[in-house]
Amino acid sequence: MTVPEAAVALNGIIKRFGDVTAVDRVDLNIADGEFFALLGPSGCGKTTTLRMIAGLEFPTEGSLRIFGDEVGTLPPDKRPVNTVFQSYALFPHMTVIQNVAFGLRMQKVAKAEANERALEAIRLVKMDGKEARRPHQLSGGQQQRVALARALVNSPKVLLLDEPLGALDLKLRQEMQRELKTLQREVGITFVFVTHDQEEALTMSDRIGVMNDGELLQVGTPEEIYERPANRFVADFIGQTNLLDGTVESDGTVCLRNGARVPVNTQSLAAGTPVAVSLRPERAQLHQPGQQPADLPHVTGRLEQHTYLGNALVLTVALDWMTLDVRVENLSGYSAPALGTEVVVSWDRDAAVVVRA
Amino acid sequence: MSGSTVKPKGPVAAALTVNAFLVYAFFFLPIVILAVFSFSDDRLVGRWGGFTTSWYGEFWNDTELTSSLWVSLRVAAVSTVISVVLGTMAALGLERFRWKSQRFFDSVLYLPIIIPDVTMAVMMLLFFTWGIDLTNEAFGTNFAKGFATITLSHIAFSISFVSVVVRARLAGMSLELEEAARDLYASRWKAFRHVTFPQIVPGIAGGALLALTLSLDDVVITQFVAGPGGTTLPVRVFSLIRKGVTPVINAVSVVMLVASLLLVALSVAVQRLRGGSITG
Repeated sequence: MTVPEAAVALNGIIKRFGDVTAVDRVDLNIADGEFFALLGPSGCGKTTTLRMIAGLEFPTEGSLRIFGDEVGTLPPDKRPVNTVFQSYALFPHMTVIQNVAFGLRMQKVAKAEANERALEAIRLVKMDGKEARRPHQLSGGQQQRVALARALVNSPKVLLLDEPLGALDLKLRQEMQRELKTLQREVGITFVFVTHDQEEALTMSDRIGVMNDGELLQVGTPEEIYERPANRFVADFIGQTNLLDGTVESDGTVCLRNGARVPVNTQSLAAGTPVAVSLRPERAQLHQPGQQPADLPHVTGRLEQHTYLGNALVLTVALDWMTLDVRVENLSGYSAPALGTEVVVSWDRDAAVVVRA
Repeated sequence: MSGSTVKPKGPVAAALTVNAFLVYAFFFLPIVILAVFSFSDDRLVGRWGGFTTSWYGEFWNDTELTSSLWVSLRVAAVSTVISVVLGTMAALGLERFRWKSQRFFDSVLYLPIIIPDVTMAVMMLLFFTWGIDLTNEAFGTNFAKGFATITLSHIAFSISFVSVVVRARLAGMSLELEEAARDLYASRWKAFRHVTFPQIVPGIAGGALLALTLSLDDVVITQFVAGPGGTTLPVRVFSLIRKGVTPVINAVSVVMLVASLLLVALSVAVQRLRGGSITG
């Protein structure tokens, strides 16, 4: 059995700008037809990685293949990929249809055919009727659609999107997230999507690659990334979590800062390894002292703050050395303990994840 | 009162109105007087002696004047085209690429703007005298100062102005536009041709207009580098003053004024046309 060829394969990719290493030894395979998100804080190297796939930057070291072909040093016009830029980069002196037909015209497609295919792409992104407009006559959302059509009309093997929704307001962004996802299924093209918004990455992608400081820290499905973060950074960056620092003990427990030993799944880490126990607020339970279920890991503290979210409450519990957030669904009849009272936070043994510090 | 437009009242308003009239009078009265007296039938420049167009006729029949007008136009056309091409290339090189000792070239490029005209003129004179002598001696040629030296000097000072104007336009243009063009299968040249160039055309047009005006206007440098083979109209007019002024000068000046106004009007019209009707 042959392994299906990766749409994009990065092998030991390094990119240096002078003394700065922007991307540090990244290995990554993106499968054909996948909706892949590169996620990380600004300056983590995700955009540089995307630009290397586009051919707008060249790797300092390593191999970059698109459907098996080495493209590392090919200029952007020789690669079967197209990009949706962060600022959309529509050509201001051209109409919508001229913008969309541009790529085809550059590939020497006859004008009539190019216009026909451009119209089709414009229809696909629901911009028909606005072919003769100039970019400055369009709203941000509409420009975004034109930018999408301009890239998709070339039937690229891979579509690259650089924070394409960053400039849109929340409502429009959510709408475009859904549409992008639908569109991707329709056209069946591999999408590589750069974002710093973890929620966007979780809701849209088939798989996510989390980057920080130029390194690719973890690659996995949204569920894997959320449920089994590879390290402290990923646990902290994806969603909300409480990180209780400690060290692994020889009996398979973790000794926390206050000396308490909590039984958790240490994933066969060696004794003495510094770790953090990642406990999601929605996986923790709050109890009156003495009422916590026996033999569950727990810590004791004092209720410090209520944060009302409407459908839920976040209760902040002060431990001796840190604070913990516990999320409680706002079910009918629920009343939170008074501030300042002593409370116990417990969790199921499998609810907390031990990550390397 | 920030941002609001408040109409001044009372004596302030009156003073401002008077001021505005004075300023415009200062600008335009000389032009009006010049134009009026170019039609005056009197040999003295500033005396009205009835209407005539004979001075324009005299200008037209004066072969020295018309030939220098012809030189002016040719010098302006050639130096503008060449300095626009070179100035735009310099702007692109400095704005779009990073290379060693760029800062040095960057600042040196703008020297002609700072150097006083007289200094530039003497420099050019020395350079050409020396250069022509040397080539004539070495290759037995028979070069002399004239059209070529005037044009070369005009190119030399125009490049800086063109590149300043074009660079300002380039700096305001997002680099992502060129990257988008490259991403959409345009070669470097095609990206320039179809995306960068249309974006900087207003800058190039502005630079061209500047180069043209500077060339048509220049007296000091041209006077130094012109040869026996003929000189430009402004220099000719300047030398006429010494012989004694006749109203022909008025006519010549009006013709030059109208020509520059037509030029500006033409460039505005071209801009409008480009903005309004790009198709296909």
